Amino acid sequence: MSGTGARENIFATRMALTNTKLRLKGAQTGHSLLAKKRDALTTRFRAILRKVDEAKRKMGRVMQLASFSMAEVTYATGDISYLVQEQAKQATFRVKTKQENVSGVVLPTFEVDRVPGSDFNLTGLGRGGQQVLKAKEVYAKAIETLVELASLQTAFTILDEVIRATNRRVNAIEHVVMPRLENTIKYIISELDEMDREEFFRLKKVQGKKKRDNAAAEAQRLADAAERGEEPQEDEPEAEATEDLLSSKDNDVIF
Amino acid sequence: MEALFFNVDTGFLEAIVRGYKAGILTQSQYANLTQCETLEDFRTQLSATDYGNFLANEPTPLSTVTIADKATQILVDQFNYLRSNAVEPLSKFLDYITYAYMIDNVVLLITGTLHERDTHELLDRCHPLGVFDTMPALCVATNVEELYQSVLVETPLAPYFRGCLSASDLDDLNIEIIRNTVYKAYLEDFYQFCATLGSPTTDVMQRILAFEADRRTVNITINSFGTDLTKEDRAKLFPAIGRLFPEGNNALAKADDIDQVRIVCENVGEYRAFFDGSSNSGANGHGDDAGFATQLEDRFFHTEVHLNKLAFLQQFQYGVFYSYMKLKEQEIRNLTWIAECIAQDAKDRIQDFIPIF
Repeated sequence: MSGTGARENIFATRMALTNTKLRLKGAQTGHSLLAKKRDALTTRFRAILRKVDEAKRKMGRVMQLASFSMAEVTYATGDISYLVQEQAKQATFRVKTKQENVSGVVLPTFEVDRVPGSDFNLTGLGRGGQQVLKAKEVYAKAIETLVELASLQTAFTILDEVIRATNRRVNAIEHVVMPRLENTIKYIISELDEMDREEFFRLKKVQGKKKRDNAAAEAQRLADAAERGEEPQEDEPEAEATEDLLSSKDNDVIF
Repeated sequence: MEALFFNVDTGFLEAIVRGYKAGILTQSQYANLTQCETLEDFRTQLSATDYGNFLANEPTPLSTVTIADKATQILVDQFNYLRSNAVEPLSKFLDYITYAYMIDNVVLLITGTLHERDTHELLDRCHPLGVFDTMPALCVATNVEELYQSVLVETPLAPYFRGCLSASDLDDLNIEIIRNTVYKAYLEDFYQFCATLGSPTTDVMQRILAFEADRRTVNITINSFGTDLTKEDRAKLFPAIGRLFPEGNNALAKADDIDQVRIVCENVGEYRAFFDGSSNSGANGHGDDAGFATQLEDRFFHTEVHLNKLAFLQQFQYGVFYSYMKLKEQEIRNLTWIAECIAQDAKDRIQDFIPIF
């Protein structure tokens, strides 16, 4: 008996055996597909990780430049923050979302959409306008880096999540589903063998019993004949004994 | 004859202002400041100068804004002392100095009113030198019409606004154009006022104001390239004084790129040097223009400092008061710049300030 591992609670029949074998095959296909997916995602994940690292370093530099250009503006014009805040009426820097498909995983990517022109292009007209423009450009670049980083970071988190889930599935199939199915198959096969052997043994027993019964009946007949003083007739029992056991329907045999 | 009676009214204040001037940071003090590693060192270095321990009660970490604010406060205190001791016509002259800041404050308040903000919080943002008695009243006005009719006409700036703007203009004109229009009126008025004070004040002040006007003209021209400011509107913003006026202004109003500005400015000997090195920028495309304009701004600052220093060479005139204010402003800008460079760890640019003495 295969009691070595978990198996499905199933009747050991040939039908069940065929079904289980089919399921095992399905599980194996699924396993190899998921493993491929996992590998593809991991490659992508590594690439993104590298890009995130680059983008973060770049952001540090760009942000420093940006805040320094702000210092230049302050040097040339003084505090312009309030004027700029009040005159900004519409966003000139927008972010669009698009979707990208990586092995069945939908990753959102953000894209920069800059509307030309601005509301405060006359700020610092009398003094420092060039610095204001420069600061605006530098900050726009800084935000571009930020947006890039944001889409990378989102992809990073989502991919991380998906890779974990896929890993779990791969492992589950490899270590739980497939062993169980294999165990079930072993169990069914061994049960079927066992049943074969039992059947064979029972047939032998039935045969033995029949033989004994026949022998007893023969002895009885001979004894009866001796009592009557008659010669025993050999012919009839001889014919009976050569009769095929399987060809006649016997009430003791159920199937 | 001017010099004979000058000291009766103004001798004391001139002595004071010349004393203040001696407190302006020197080259070696700047050298010390640029060696600082942190803003804490910066504070320590500054406490050895005339600034004293003006930052002593500030909690750490120091911000550059705090440094600028505190330094400005010292300047404001000095100015108020001068102003309260002054008599006519010096008091009037000092008032004129404050008008420039008032314009900024009023424009700030107008912006706030136009966007229906709570104008009270704006009062904190106003430059302390430009604060005037009726300024809080500007916050009472809820719409532009009211602001113009009842409040603005009460301020000392009323003639400038009345001369160039109507109430409806305030609604739809760009706020920067309003600011520059008013400033132009102010400069011209100040110029006229200095003319009434007689020599040598007139000589000193008109030279400084003419430069200021020319600087604005050139800046407005360069900054309006590539914007939707029309050439007619641009011409209206040019002050009608200065060495470029009138034929230079006319040419600048029609200029389309920085090379044309250069040609116009080469007609004036002093301004020729500003455009050195710009002649090859035209070939390199537009990218250099921006960099060059930044450089130009720096040269303007240099010349301004130079002219203001010259004002101290003459005695018995009011120019020293104006010059002192301007030099001190430049010094505050320098301090902010150095502090900013220290805070942001940008040591390679720390020398880009403009030393005064």
